[in-house]
Amino acid sequence: MQFLISRYNPETDDKPHMQAFEVDVQRGMMLRDALLDIKRQDESFAFRHSCGEGVCGSDGVNVNGSNKLACITPISELKTPIEVRPFPGRPIIRDLVVDMTQFYEQYKKVDPWLVRKEPAPEQEVLQSPEDRDKLDGLYECILCGCCSTSCPSFWWNPDKFLGPQALLSSWRFLADSRDQATDERLDQLEDPYKMFRCHTIMNCVESCPKGLNPTKAIGNIKNLMIKKAV
Amino acid sequence: MALAKRRFDALIIGAGGAGLNAAIQLADTNLQVAVVSKVFPTRSHTVAAQGGVNAALANVSDDSWHWHMFDTVKGSDYLGDQDAIEFMCREAIPTVYELEHNGVPFSRLENGTIYQRAFGGQSQNFGGAQASRTCAAADRTGHAILHALYQQNVRARTHFFDEFFAVELLRDDEGAILGALVLEIETGEPLLIEAKSTILATGGCGQVYRTTSNAHINTGDGMALALRAGAPLMDMEFYQFHPTGIAGKGMLITEGVRGEGGYLVNKDGERFMERYAPNAKDLASRDVVSRAIVTEVKEGRGCGPKSDHVMLKVDHLGEEIISKRLPGIRESGKIFAGVDAVVEPLPVFPTAHYIMGGILTDRYGRVLTDQNDTIMPGLYAAGECACVSVHGANRLGGNSLLDILVFGRAAGLNVLNNTPASHRKLTDSAIQSAMARLERWDQTGTGLSVRELRDEFRRTMEDHAGVFRTEVIMQEGVNKLLALRDKLPDVRLQDHSRVFNTGRIEALELENLFDCGIAMAVSALHRQESRGAHSRPDYPERDDANWMKHSLYYRAEDRMDYKPVTTEPLSVDSFPPKVRTY
Amino acid sequence: MSRKASGFKAWAWQRITAVYIGLFGVYLLSSLLCAAPETYTAWQAWFTGPVMRVTTLLFVLAILLHAWVGIRDICIDYVKPIAVRASLLLMLALSLILYGLWAAQLLLR
Repeated sequence: MQFLISRYNPETDDKPHMQAFEVDVQRGMMLRDALLDIKRQDESFAFRHSCGEGVCGSDGVNVNGSNKLACITPISELKTPIEVRPFPGRPIIRDLVVDMTQFYEQYKKVDPWLVRKEPAPEQEVLQSPEDRDKLDGLYECILCGCCSTSCPSFWWNPDKFLGPQALLSSWRFLADSRDQATDERLDQLEDPYKMFRCHTIMNCVESCPKGLNPTKAIGNIKNLMIKKAV
Repeated sequence: MALAKRRFDALIIGAGGAGLNAAIQLADTNLQVAVVSKVFPTRSHTVAAQGGVNAALANVSDDSWHWHMFDTVKGSDYLGDQDAIEFMCREAIPTVYELEHNGVPFSRLENGTIYQRAFGGQSQNFGGAQASRTCAAADRTGHAILHALYQQNVRARTHFFDEFFAVELLRDDEGAILGALVLEIETGEPLLIEAKSTILATGGCGQVYRTTSNAHINTGDGMALALRAGAPLMDMEFYQFHPTGIAGKGMLITEGVRGEGGYLVNKDGERFMERYAPNAKDLASRDVVSRAIVTEVKEGRGCGPKSDHVMLKVDHLGEEIISKRLPGIRESGKIFAGVDAVVEPLPVFPTAHYIMGGILTDRYGRVLTDQNDTIMPGLYAAGECACVSVHGANRLGGNSLLDILVFGRAAGLNVLNNTPASHRKLTDSAIQSAMARLERWDQTGTGLSVRELRDEFRRTMEDHAGVFRTEVIMQEGVNKLLALRDKLPDVRLQDHSRVFNTGRIEALELENLFDCGIAMAVSALHRQESRGAHSRPDYPERDDANWMKHSLYYRAEDRMDYKPVTTEPLSVDSFPPKVRTY
Repeated sequence: MSRKASGFKAWAWQRITAVYIGLFGVYLLSSLLCAAPETYTAWQAWFTGPVMRVTTLLFVLAILLHAWVGIRDICIDYVKPIAVRASLLLMLALSLILYGLWAAQLLLR
């Protein structure tokens, strides 16, 4: 089966170009297996990958126009010809490897850690199973970047709009019954860019390999702001 | 050309659970600490740990750290050091509470406390009824912990060197470690990081095998760094094969599945673990279950067209339990085996999973160089790459996350309390010998490819250092491996570009894999007994008279030495060796 | 224009005005469908009632505010050069104010 792969080596190329590779596709093969096969054919081919089971979030790529994790994307589900490109909107370092610095910076901006103001008890801080259930669909984020790099608002304003990933993380802590920085977190988002560039285009929801819903999280943050305002 | 140089008080190599928990101890102090990781920290393989972390919180069943200690000593097949095990089991409780305070979203019980599930090898009252000791965040505990630790490090403004590869430790003529030579993967430029203390926390080396639950990055880098710096690796013959990897693929299905009530069946639908472990059944210790599965398949009772696996039955638990407690494995089953665990059983077979052995350290994380506990100045190790030893010949499920957290923290605190006032002098010879390793790969011309040699190496490891090991098979394996190692100098890279050259990284990793694999094979060949994960049909019994000792492998001349097991705990009575049944 | 006010408040105003525009629109439409005034005098009578004057004026203001937030959003998204954006927004603001004054003049005379 033929794969078209975006190639770019900054030391020799002016701009990216597509290169065709033949891969002997077996039943049950994932896209990452094909990329590994291509790596065997051509030592100079670069892409990030690690766990191979969709939890480390390294191997996000753009396949036939959609952002996906290569290791959990069955080749059988892809339409031919299969075209693999780096994430859109990010500076390309080499081949499928992009610079994700800005994405991580936005994540760090939402203070993605649990804030407790009271002194810690000797044992665990109690949390009811119902309150814990509110974190499902939020804490599972693997920071792969599929969502933010598929979001047009993030393409236009990657420096100022936090992007769906960071906003999902923000809600993950706002929704945590143990967290004690709700007001600070909401105040931080009070700016025309950080959150309000979201126009519910919902590419993030479609591209999330873990089935999470950043758009809903953003809606929840806005609702909480309203609740706090009245 | 002058090499770029940075100076820190402490350097941590590896950003998984051990590295990040060490970093967090230092980051909030006035020490300058650098964390070097070859991947972005949350990509470290701690993220893939599923089932949970053991601590005798007694939230579900009556429990005590002393029972936890007994189970760990027994699980280790009496090869674990009892002082370190006592320390770990006591520390487990505050460690888990600290994790919770750091934000880990543990699953909860009705009364709001942390959810705990049953895992293999856990008992109440020193071998009595099954205990529930494994604290879990659904079946994504490692992910939840790694992210929370990273988040706390972001809060504390830890200095990260993301996507930097540690090439070699810098070592002066007295054998002290002065930091490391690292390579920025994005630019391909080398960088010297000088540090008063260096902590190795690079994780395991599962990539020595072809079928493994380990990630692409688990290439034993830290173990190889220590080995080349002159430290020995301890108990490398003890490699754990996890009973339930997805058949033919190797992705892990957590022991938590059996903890929640899942069980194994052979092609006749028989729950065969009842024959091998009448009491603990499917929750016997991992070495026992793995051997049982391999035996079933060998004796023709395997499932599938090739009779090459067994089935893990889960569907009887019902959709609610499965989607609440085991959502991740349901997802993995669907993706990699095409099976919905709610409807059908999952095809499983043992998969290479965890190295009990590693860099010889004491319980403060200090790297030791011999049986007399001589300290290697400036070097620490923690996590899977280290061997304290708390797992001995076989690790219990849920003790791995515990090990990395407890000893990562201990190493961090020890660095904090013992940081020397000044840096030792970095000599030119130290720099040159480290640079030599990097420059070797600039050689051009034709030769073997990294891929060819790696394939042959991994096949040899799988065939000759697997679950069952005989003298003949292993001797042949060692001979082959040594012959392959002789071919290493003939390997050439074809691509010598600088920017994000993953081929060059894989070449450096291959050298590390060789160091680890040969340590494993040589250590295994020498140990003439069956203990824990090291199972020899030609020496089927455990031999406490001759072999209740740790093996030490040194890289120079592939030399073996031995070290007595510490049977004296810190405060309680010793657990004397007993016949191990489940 | 305070920089602080323009995130949540802008969004909230957009929502509030949307609701008002929706409600008033439904009222206007249903009135026209069910009992549309047939003569000019009837039209005039309908719109000169004090309640109608105020609500219509509010309707116009809501549309202007809604338009301001919406078009400003588009400018923020796509118009990066600060000078261009500022002049566009200034022109927009001026024309919206003019529309507002014109509507007020019609409704309040």
